[in-house]
Amino acid sequence: MSRALEALARRVEGDPDYLAFLLRLYAEAEQLDDPGLTAALGCRPEDLTRLRLCRAPRSDPARFRADVARIAGHFEIDEVRLLGVLRRAEALRALAGAEPGSRGMLLAARDEEPPEDEP
Amino acid sequence: MPASLPTQAEALALHQRLLRDDPVAWNDVAWAYLDHLIAWLAPRNLSVPEDLRVTAAEDAVMSLCKRPASYDPARGELFPFLCMAAQRDLQNLLQKEKRHQGAVSLESVEQSPQAGKYLGKEDDSCLKLYREDDPNDGHDPLIAAFLASASAEERRVLELMLDGERDSSVFAAALGLGDLPVQEQRLRVKQLKDRIKARLRRERRSS
Repeated sequence: MSRALEALARRVEGDPDYLAFLLRLYAEAEQLDDPGLTAALGCRPEDLTRLRLCRAPRSDPARFRADVARIAGHFEIDEVRLLGVLRRAEALRALAGAEPGSRGMLLAARDEEPPEDEP
Repeated sequence: MPASLPTQAEALALHQRLLRDDPVAWNDVAWAYLDHLIAWLAPRNLSVPEDLRVTAAEDAVMSLCKRPASYDPARGELFPFLCMAAQRDLQNLLQKEKRHQGAVSLESVEQSPQAGKYLGKEDDSCLKLYREDDPNDGHDPLIAAFLASASAEERRVLELMLDGERDSSVFAAALGLGDLPVQEQRLRVKQLKDRIKARLRRERRSS
């Protein structure tokens, strides 16, 4: 992983359009460093930067789930686990009032029926 | 980074994925082009600070991801389009930098030996803003905005920089890096400081 990509991944932690933004909210709330976040996501350590550089899931429920599924499938991580992390992050964002439209994102994260295998 | 640039066929496939809102495509675009763009800008802008070149390359990549329709394949290949966009972004950054010349001297935040919290050198307008806006708790809008979106480790580092701290081991300890080899500590601390300074410059320019 190049330094430039890692630097960009850190830069976009402040950009709500990127998945990095949500992952940062989650990691801070859970007091996780990168290895901790990697463990929480169940991803390969070398994939964490790539995950950060993905687009954040779109806000409407169907697309939110589709985007999460796409990202989870691409990086071979558990979709339900990723969904849990992103739901928590969205809830944190909504609670913090971090940006306009966060209510929509929170609904997107919650409204969809859970998959059959989700506890 | 990939050893070679994507072919135009691969670039078109990537562009199509952006247009279809594939969330993974954003990562793939950065992975495929960012380092190549930085390498392309360097020899053409030797006198420009590296962090500005990197920012311009980042801006071009992010802009394509957010507005993929800005690229029209009928008008040429993707990499030259990104190069032109990055060069244009760099020119804009340089113009803003000139306009703000003398407004920010971020280096002095960490280099001033007597820099106390919110009370830096007289020519350090970044710190002057702290005094002017709120001498007690330093709510400079620029710094406040930065802190609002900064990660926890960025906040810790910026606070130490504003305290006038210069010892890498202090930064490393604050970041929980004390167990790493000293060289690694210094590298990680430097990377963080550089990132913070680059972000502050960007925010200053866009403010």
